[in-house]
Amino acid sequence: MAVLPSDPIAAGQLGALIPPPMARRRRASWVRSLDVYIPGGFLLLLVLACFVWPVVYPVPQPVGGSILDASLGIGAPGHLLGTDTVGNDILARLLYGGRVSFEVAAATQVVGGVVGTMIGIVSTYLGGIAEAVVMRLLDVLLAIPAFILALTLLEGLGQGELNIIWALSIFFIPAFARLARAATLSLKEQTFVVAAHLTGTKRWRSIMRHIVPNVAPGLLTFALLNAGVAIIIEATLSFFGYGIPPPGPSWGNMIADGQQVMSTQPRLILVPSILLLVTVIALNTLGDGLRARWGVQ
Amino acid sequence: MSAVLAPSPTNLEAPAGDEHIGKWASFVASPSLRLTGRRLLQAIPVLWGVTFLTYLFLNLLPGDAASQLLGANATPAEVHQLEIKLHLNEPFLTRYWHWFTGVLSGNLGASLANGQSVSSILGQRLPVTFELVVVSVVVTMLIAVPMATLAARKPRGIFDRVTTILSMGGISIAQFVFALLLVLLFSDIWNVLPALGWTPLSQSIGQNARYLVLPVMTIAIPLAMFVARLLRADLIEQMDSQEYIVTARAKGLSRWAQLTRHALRNSMLGIVTIFGLQVALLFGLTVIVEEIFGLPGVGQALLTAVNDRDAPLLEGIVLVLAGIVVLVNLLIDVTYGVLDPRIRHGRSSV
Repeated sequence: MAVLPSDPIAAGQLGALIPPPMARRRRASWVRSLDVYIPGGFLLLLVLACFVWPVVYPVPQPVGGSILDASLGIGAPGHLLGTDTVGNDILARLLYGGRVSFEVAAATQVVGGVVGTMIGIVSTYLGGIAEAVVMRLLDVLLAIPAFILALTLLEGLGQGELNIIWALSIFFIPAFARLARAATLSLKEQTFVVAAHLTGTKRWRSIMRHIVPNVAPGLLTFALLNAGVAIIIEATLSFFGYGIPPPGPSWGNMIADGQQVMSTQPRLILVPSILLLVTVIALNTLGDGLRARWGVQ
Repeated sequence: MSAVLAPSPTNLEAPAGDEHIGKWASFVASPSLRLTGRRLLQAIPVLWGVTFLTYLFLNLLPGDAASQLLGANATPAEVHQLEIKLHLNEPFLTRYWHWFTGVLSGNLGASLANGQSVSSILGQRLPVTFELVVVSVVVTMLIAVPMATLAARKPRGIFDRVTTILSMGGISIAQFVFALLLVLLFSDIWNVLPALGWTPLSQSIGQNARYLVLPVMTIAIPLAMFVARLLRADLIEQMDSQEYIVTARAKGLSRWAQLTRHALRNSMLGIVTIFGLQVALLFGLTVIVEEIFGLPGVGQALLTAVNDRDAPLLEGIVLVLAGIVVLVNLLIDVTYGVLDPRIRHGRSSV
């Protein structure tokens, strides 16, 4: 803590004092990286399954199933995970629903992250009136419960995937702006940023070259955790009938459909619920792992 | 945070011991009271912004209360008549001004849907939501604090590992999924608790508690996992790095006593802050929970108000909820002083 890594002499002296790492306590690097590889690999597989599997290997259509095939059990011929109460293939609905989840998660984090971060960094770096106005606006947005905000927006925009993305992006902007602001506030006082300012670096260039690269790792792990939140909110909105219009495939819709026959066919809510839970756990674990590895916060 | 809490130079000059000034004056000059006053003043523009933004949002939604209330079969003439009756034909800013001046004189207006006054609707529904939130927060603390302390007693021990796994599950589960799983277990399979409905506390305490168990579990268990995770990390960090822990250890205190008497007290500040950040989220959750379990609370009324484009009702609810969020955060800032004497006495070298 006392020795800055940018101080080569002190770092060198300190290095000489530290004994070589004890071999018996160090595990192989791949073992130590498992907290990143396992959730990362799982998510990669899941994304590939959702986006590539239906293309290269035919699965039944996720909608328009025949009522004659309704309520088939797991392992029924042609329906690997069975069918729901109207005869739609569960596996197909999971895969196509997963597409929606991942698209919403990725798009909201890109839009909310980029806009929020830039608002946070630029307003903080400029200071003055811009900073005061932006902070008060963010206070207002943060005082409205997020789920209610998204719900009201969706009432206006109408259902559908693209509208969910817009509504949720707006909801993620203040969070990113807050975090970017906190990071920028401390960076602004750091020697290298002050030095850049004193040598006549333009504000815009200073933001892009010095501030953005230094807040990026923290914001990236934040985005991974938020992606899980986005997936949960999309599912919740769809569950209450405000998100993806039924019979469109979405994990939230599947759970809502399954709720009616919960006591007789619990698997209809359990299968999408477990997939939803595992996906969000993977995102959170990956975010935690990367955060520890990059040493942010 | 410390920048906000740091007293301004004038506060430091407040002569607390001066006999001429008297008790009242020193109370008025106390840093925490000034802080409270400043924060209250800051809250006013935020609250106004929330109500204006909500009004704007609601106004931008397609369809108005008249057509929404009359349904699809209404003739344009009928809709127009109701619009005039409800003053919906007036411009947006005029309507907002009517509502706003009403609020300033203590009148929240009447619901467009049934003409009932908004304050009486809130009076019926707020206690339900309050009970849900307060009990949930208490249960959260009752689960989270012992869990985190036990986990921190032996890091990487079996209890710690179980806690870590449980809290990862807790922060990752969607509330509506958790609610359904609880209903599946307790109402469908074991059939011990009702899945739907409500009895007010004033009618029957036992019945009220039965209806409250599942909603409270839905909110409290995931929230407790979230709090336990942060608390555990904070406790372990203190045990590894803080000098007062070294002192306590040198005095011969057991690890349990070090944790409960020294580390836990210092963590409370952080925990209280987390709750402040979670209040807005908590009220968002009550919407989900009240809808699933059929509790007649504010959240349920909010969904109906959005559906009916019932501006006065929605505005009343949003104003009260945002007011509570702001007030709780204010209370928390004041609590800092109670929890931490360094802040109370205006020494901010924390």
